[in-house]
This record gives sequence, C-alpha cells and structure tokens, in this order.
Amino acid sequence: MSTTLLRDLTDEQFLERYDCDRFTASVLANRLRYSAQHVTTGLLHRAFSPIIALCYDFAACVCAPPEQDYAMSAVTNGLSIFLGTMSAGVRVAVEEFGPENLVPGDLLICNDVYRMGNHYNDVCFIRPVFHDGKIAGFIALRAHQLDVGGIAPGGFSAAKHNIYEDGISISPRLLYHAGEPVRETFSLIFDNVRMAELMLPDFHTMQSCCALGEELIQEIIERYGIEAYLGSLRYACDASAESMRQAFASMPDGDYSASGSLDADGVDDSEEYTVALTLRKRGERLEADFSGSSRQARTCINAGALDAKTAVGVGLKMLLSPESEFTSGTFRDIDLVIPPGSMVSALPPDGAVFCYYEVSALINTVLCEALGSVLGEAALGGDFGAAYVHNAYGVGPDGAPWMCSAMAGGEHGPRGGSSAGDGDGFSCSYIFNLMSPSSESLEADFPLRIMRREFLPDTAGPGAHRGGAAVAKDVLYTRPGEHQTIPLRFRHASGVGVRGGGDGALGGVWVFGRDGAPTSGPETLLPTDDSGYAAAVAVAGTLDPVTRAPRVDGEFFYYGRDPGWATEAGATWRYVTNGGGGWGDPLERDPQRVLRDVRDEYVTLAAAKRDFGVVITGDPHADPEGLVLDEAATEKARAARR
Amino acid sequence: MAITNPRPAEPTLSVNRESVEGTCPGCGARKLQAYPVLSEAGWFDVVKCAECLTDVRRTPGPKLGPIELLADRIRGGGHG
Repeated sequence: MSTTLLRDLTDEQFLERYDCDRFTASVLANRLRYSAQHVTTGLLHRAFSPIIALCYDFAACVCAPPEQDYAMSAVTNGLSIFLGTMSAGVRVAVEEFGPENLVPGDLLICNDVYRMGNHYNDVCFIRPVFHDGKIAGFIALRAHQLDVGGIAPGGFSAAKHNIYEDGISISPRLLYHAGEPVRETFSLIFDNVRMAELMLPDFHTMQSCCALGEELIQEIIERYGIEAYLGSLRYACDASAESMRQAFASMPDGDYSASGSLDADGVDDSEEYTVALTLRKRGERLEADFSGSSRQARTCINAGALDAKTAVGVGLKMLLSPESEFTSGTFRDIDLVIPPGSMVSALPPDGAVFCYYEVSALINTVLCEALGSVLGEAALGGDFGAAYVHNAYGVGPDGAPWMCSAMAGGEHGPRGGSSAGDGDGFSCSYIFNLMSPSSESLEADFPLRIMRREFLPDTAGPGAHRGGAAVAKDVLYTRPGEHQTIPLRFRHASGVGVRGGGDGALGGVWVFGRDGAPTSGPETLLPTDDSGYAAAVAVAGTLDPVTRAPRVDGEFFYYGRDPGWATEAGATWRYVTNGGGGWGDPLERDPQRVLRDVRDEYVTLAAAKRDFGVVITGDPHADPEGLVLDEAATEKARAARR
Repeated sequence: MAITNPRPAEPTLSVNRESVEGTCPGCGARKLQAYPVLSEAGWFDVVKCAECLTDVRRTPGPKLGPIELLADRIRGGGHG
C-alpha cells in the first residue's frame, strides 16, 4: 500500500488506481450512499412493524461484487450496530448460496447470528445488482423483525438458554427468485413466528426497497460506466481506511487497557460478565485484544465475534475519526483478537446471542475508558451505557394480542461530557443511534401511557463539562401484561468520567402498583423522591435495602429473579438510567454554570458544594432566579479541595 | 446447524499466541507470534511481531472463524 495520501495522488495516479477522476469518484461515493439511504427511507415510510416505523431499527449498505471481496462501500445514516457485520454477512451468505446461482430479481435472506452477527430478529435481505448479466454488487438491508419464534414473544428476554429457545435460524436462502416470492421460504419463516400478518407486507416492502436500490445503482453504472462505478467502490473504502490510519498515527504508541461488565445473565446473579480489552497501537496499526474476557454466559446476553468487531470499529471511528465515512475500509488497519467461547465470541448452541447490543454498548464504555487518558481534549465521557430494553405483551379484551418491544423501557438516556460541552440528552446509547419513538405513537399503538420523561438531579458525572443527568421514565400500562426487562448495567457506573471527571450515578427499575392501580386521575403521576420507592417492587439496581432508592454501595437487586414480571392494569414501570460521565476536573467548571445547573435542578445545593466546590445560597425550587453564588466561599471551598 | 461447543470451564478466556522462530522485518525483534485475527476481510491466521505489530504472514482463516457448520461436512450439497 502506497503511503501517498489520496489527496496527493496525481490525476494520472488517481485514474490508474480508481478508473475515474477524483471528482467522479467523490460524486459516485455520495451517490452510493444516497442509493442505500433511499432503500431505508422507503422502508421507513411503508413499514407496518412499529420497531421499524418508529425506531429506525434498520440499516442498509452497498457491497462490492465478489471480485472485490464484497467490500462494504456505502452505508446509511442511523443504526450503526449492523454496519460492521453486514459486509461479512453478505460475503458469507452469498458464498454459501453460491453467487453463480443468483439471477436478476433474486433476494437472499439470512439471519443466522453465527454467520452474520447481530441477533435472529435482525434479518438480512440481500439483492444482487446485475449489470450486463454479471453481478456488479449487492444491496443489503438489515431490519429488526417483530418476532422470530423462540420462547419469548418478540425475543427481548435475557433468559433464553440456547439457540433453540432463541428463535428460528434462517440459513442463506432465496426469499424471492427472479422477482417472484419463494413460497417455501415464506412458509418456513411465518410458520415459526408470531405476528406474521404484520411482517408479511413488510417482507414485500423489503423486496421493493432493495429493487429500488438496484435500479439506482444500475442508473449510476449506466451514466458513469462500470469501471468508474467499480473504482468508486474501492475509493470509498480506501478513503475510510486512510482516515482511520491517520487517526492511529496521531495517537502515541502504547498498550491501553480497560474493562467493564454486564451485571448477570438470566440464570442467577452469581457471575458478572467482563469485557477486557487491550488496544495495542503501533504506528498506523491497532490490535484490539479481548483476551481476559469472561466465558460465554449461560443465557443470551452474549455477542458474536462480528458484533465485537462492529463495536470496536464504530467506537474507534466515533472517538478518533468522526468526520470520515464508515465502510469496511474502516477496519483495514485493525486486527481483532477474540477468544472463542467468550462473551464476545459465543459459540452455539448454548452460547446464545441475543443481547449482543448490550455487549456492544459495554465495549464502547470500555473504549471510552481505555482511551480517556490518551485522547486529551478528544476524550469522551461514558454514556448511560445500555438499552435497558423492556418488552411487554398481552391480550386485549377482543382477544387480539399486543406486544411492545424495546420502546417503552429505558432505551434512551444521557451522554457523557466532551470538549464540546455537557452531555445531556435523551438519545440511544452511543453505539446504537436509533430514534426515540414519539409518546403519541406508543400510546396509540399499545395499552400504555408515558407519564414522565425527565432528568434527575445529582446523577450526572461531575466535570468541567459534566455528564448528562439520568433520565427517569414512567410508563403506566392500562391493561394486564407480561413483561421482560433486560437491565444489565446497574452494578458499576457506565458513565465513566474522563480527564478527571466523575462517574455518572447508577439507576434502577421499579414497578409501582404491580397488583393493580388507578389508570387515570392525579394519583397516576408518581413522586420521584427517594421516599416513594419503598412502596414499589424493586426490579433491578444497586439499591438501599430499606428505601429501595439507588445507593452506590447498596444491595444488588437481580432483574432475573422473576422470569416474567406479570402486572395488573394500572402498574407503572419506572426506568432510571445511569448518568453520563464527566469530562475534566469538576473544580474547573465555571461557577456560573454550576449556578445554572442548580437553578435548573440538575444539581442540588449540597452537590454543588460537594462535587464542584461551588457555594450557592437560596431556594432553587421556590425561587430559582433568586439563587446567589457566593464567590468568596467558592474560592475557599475549591482551594481546600485542590 | 453448527457443531456443538461446550461452555468453557475457565471463567475468563484468552487467545493462545504461539511463539514462532524468526526476526521481525520491521523492528528486528525476535517476538513473532501466530494467532487468528478478525479484520476487514474476515478471519485470518497471522504471524505478527508482538513488538511492532508488523505482519510477517497473513493467510485466510476459516470462513466463520471458530464456528463450524455441520452442513459443511455434506459432500455434494448444492442448489437444485
């Protein structure tokens, strides 16, 4: 590989390498991304499945033909945890099926986690793009399906012990052949899953969206020529690789290690599951070694090796090269060393993979911590660090089943502090990049009411730029239901502080009125102060054994002690996320910003002094604009702490 | 269907790095190691310098890394 930067290539060198001029390569790389984006836009607008239509739980990409080893050259915006697995998934699925067996109008389908990464619900649809009778590339669309069978409706359970309980595994096969549906594949899937009536029209939509993607790429080829198109595929990957290589080169050589853990699997709470990661960086290369990580869990909180690869690639790009495009070239100078049989490379049939996304978020936390001392200004505080997915299902009075998957738990929360400022937010964990569904949509589709989404005081990791405050979310169910909860990050802070910043607080999960409560009226809005928790059932968290409020040295409440949390109408589930990590020394935070935090009730008077050394007087609740910053006392308090 | 893999008995796991005779062409260290890695184009069996990460050898590994499919033991399988 030449060390000459792409921008320094002469026009002749560029033409020789990519079969087009640099302007054309740039235009085509953009058009490829546009084509992939159109595929997912079509799905978003026409999908019936709520998790697709409301949450953006899909991604698409353009992969190169077999002669270019299926390199992923363009990806969509949004969900990022699919992106590191799709190139490998396309390669594996097409090679197993045989590229020579594909014809125009075919659509391959596969969801096997060990071949393609992610979990069984994340079904991959692959359409070859033909030009002059030859495969010129692939459009791949991955989208979360409502259900894939197994023991848990919707799949969102941490209690599944093996692949057979997890759901149906679809090996690479045709869903459409020459544009026509393949009945036996539809039957294989829909005879084994719940909610198939809702999924059937979505499958037709996937086909049409992928067909649109193929048309758009064929237009590119017709207009610019096959050689320029193929060259632009290579160029896009080379540009990503170069960006990462330059980012590595700018880091000091060294070995950087950190670790973190998931609380417990679905069997019991006797075993924490640790991700240990050492980044060995030399020159322009990096090795990410997961040696020292825990063996695979006994239930499905594991990830596959491709998921670990994705998390490392997305995390490093986010931290080191946020301006570059993500392609398979992002991984060019990264080698992953992954022990088989570990929680980051679980093996079938007992190493079930479902909550891979929790491992992905954990890897991201570990990356933030490992590089926290290396990146200087670019360091990033850890976020709330998980999905805290909630799955609820039941049967309505008319006998119709309802199921709300991964949308009404603690899926959204705060981010960490950074050089850009404080880390507040109500968004997915860094690694996911999903949408937050609207309250109105959820309340229209399911028997629930979103009663509260608000920040809690004194939960943000202190810092010169503090982390985001934890989010409390109350969801009241108006009908009886069965619930699965998967909170896996309440033993240790996920919002790790960097550059001297403090860690974010720990959250928890509770059920108020489990055996029935009013579904309307003022009493449905529950208090958030610590005194209220004693009346609730503590589902998960590290909590005070008496008050059941979060306490960092409290008792660990194991989420899995009830395999399915049944509730009556009127029950309210409360999720409090972890807080985000702080960035920089909290004693360096501008006292005026602390005053503003106290006024806005992000920080209490006591915590302003304890965590930031800032002395403020007044009543933030009754007279927020009357608060007074005591500069002399602040100076004295900070001097005593330094 | 994949081949059955028992759960490891050890609580934590590490990748075994086998020492290889030779000198690194990049830095001259005699610290070459052989082990499997996952990278841009899939699984590879590599020989690398533990000191400077220079590749000495890189050959394609099993398509699914540590996972073996039972169907791969079928001779003559195909479509139609």
